[in-house]
Amino acid sequence: MSLVFNRRNLIQSAVLGASAAALPGSAMAQARARIVIVGGGFGGATAALTLKRLLPSSDITLIEPFDQFVACPFSNLVIAGLRDITSQSFSYDRLEAAGITRIADTAIDVDPVAKTVSLQWGDDLTYDKLILSPGIDFRFEALEGYHSGMTGRLPHAWKAGSQTLWLQLKLQALEDGQTVIMSVPPAPYRCPPGPYERASLIAHFLKTQKPRSKLIILDAKDQFSKMALFKEAWEEHYPDHLEWRGASNDGTVVRVDAEADTVFTDFESFQSPAINVIPPQKAGFIAERAGVADATGWCPIDPLSFASTLQSDIHVIGDATIAAPMPKSAFSANLQGKVCAVAIARIVAGMSPEPTVLANTCYSYTTPDEAISIAGVYSNAGGKLSSISGAGGVSPLRADKAIRNAEAAQAHHWFETITAEAFG
Amino acid sequence: MSLGAMAVAACGGSGSERAAVSEASDTDVASVLVMACTGCHSDQSGAIASLNVYDSDQLRDALLQYKTDANGTTVMHRLARGYSDAEIDLISAQLGQDDVSP
Ligand SMILES: Cc1cc2nc3c(=O)[nH]c(=O)nc-3n(C[C@H](O)[C@H](O)[C@H](O)COP(=O)(O)OP(=O)(O)OC[C@H]3O[C@@H](n4cnc5c(N)ncnc54)[C@H](O)[C@@H]3O)c2cc1C
Repeated sequence: MSLVFNRRNLIQSAVLGASAAALPGSAMAQARARIVIVGGGFGGATAALTLKRLLPSSDITLIEPFDQFVACPFSNLVIAGLRDITSQSFSYDRLEAAGITRIADTAIDVDPVAKTVSLQWGDDLTYDKLILSPGIDFRFEALEGYHSGMTGRLPHAWKAGSQTLWLQLKLQALEDGQTVIMSVPPAPYRCPPGPYERASLIAHFLKTQKPRSKLIILDAKDQFSKMALFKEAWEEHYPDHLEWRGASNDGTVVRVDAEADTVFTDFESFQSPAINVIPPQKAGFIAERAGVADATGWCPIDPLSFASTLQSDIHVIGDATIAAPMPKSAFSANLQGKVCAVAIARIVAGMSPEPTVLANTCYSYTTPDEAISIAGVYSNAGGKLSSISGAGGVSPLRADKAIRNAEAAQAHHWFETITAEAFG
Repeated sequence: MSLGAMAVAACGGSGSERAAVSEASDTDVASVLVMACTGCHSDQSGAIASLNVYDSDQLRDALLQYKTDANGTTVMHRLARGYSDAEIDLISAQLGQDDVSP
């Protein structure tokens, strides 16, 4: 590792006695590690800012092809016409001002032995430590008839941006009385409650703008996040505008025909001009190229430092990881980015990572001004992430409107805070 | 044990230990524990309280109350139940406005 602060310095300082006591802090201030981060989303941007603060003399390079990051949280409000997409967009100006080098490019390969990253356009980069936060990619082959060229016809809107607007347009173009279809994949996927928040807000849109239309959710599961709370809200608000079919009620979509605007379950077919196929998922492709994804398509990690268990000097954070019981959320990616940055700073300065307590909170809107939440608290001691028993859980059932309104306001505050943490 | 840890251990208990802790404090246990808090709490007050306006005693009292109120259902009740009293002490000392410098 190309540290200016090397082991010999460390031993000499130790021999010098008292002055050595100040080592860890100054080691961090002086350490000049080359740290490359792939992906400027909630995990990667947070890790970059945290590392620059902890290791100010190090070279922190962020590879991200898009100049604007478009956030998925709150994008369901955009789909339902309740929020402008510009409120979802964040630039990397503040990261660059903090001294982080951003390269507008895509990482296309990683050589974990030579410790290099190849870019689509630019020269290879050499790293001492590599952090991958590439989010998700889709397993197009997992759904018969589906391929990457169909996302215009059957938008996923599971990466935010033009896809979000495309689904919004399809809803707006719907004729009153036509049905909307949403296909939900088996777990694990990004944002476990996300499809049901989206369903709630689409149902709200239909109820207020296309009252003779309804949404049918075709689900590959029988249980989902905050299920009792969502079902309570749907019964109250959308009895005529939302129908949910679980796997054991022939809900699993097994085939799509984009040309015919049709999806198929085992026994039925559903045709609609507004079909939202949320595809089965895996870690972003670079994880596989780097050799850090396992047969599941996701990345096993040591939860103390988020170091890959498959390759040395590569850390993985965010949606790409196998971090259950922590969900694949922006909150998790942000916190994992911070914990990973601390672990790397300590390793670079000659200290070992320490266990800590992690947490997650995810809010979901059920109407434009009501939300429900799920929270969890996790330990990363003992080589695994585990839920701390007695903690966590969901909002109460049959709660006062005031509680739902309060959580909607908290959700809004959370979005402002988390995006400021990630993008400065 | 890493060399860095050895270097610190070699001087454990010496008069300058405090300086070492303060310089490495950006990555000590308390600093990392509060990283979960700052995902929601900023220095702006609003629907979620700002953490910049309480002293450590107020924070400790509030967190212990959240933790022990068996009927509480807010996000903070659900989260506080995951922390030991010792962790709550560390978090309160770290975030309390009387206590920012060691
Ligand atoms: C509809 C919806 C609603 C959601 N709502 C919430 C919510 O309310 N709360 C919550 O906590 N979470 C929510 N999420 C989940 C949240 O968006 C993700 O968990 C979070 O974005 C994960 O962060 P990440 O860093 O792993 O990936 P991302 O944030 O997706 O960032 C990945 C980045 O990496 C870049 N990238 C990928 N591959 C490469 C490469 N090879 N080279 C260079 N760059 C690359 C991408 O361009 C992207 O910018 C929601 C998700 C969806 C879809």
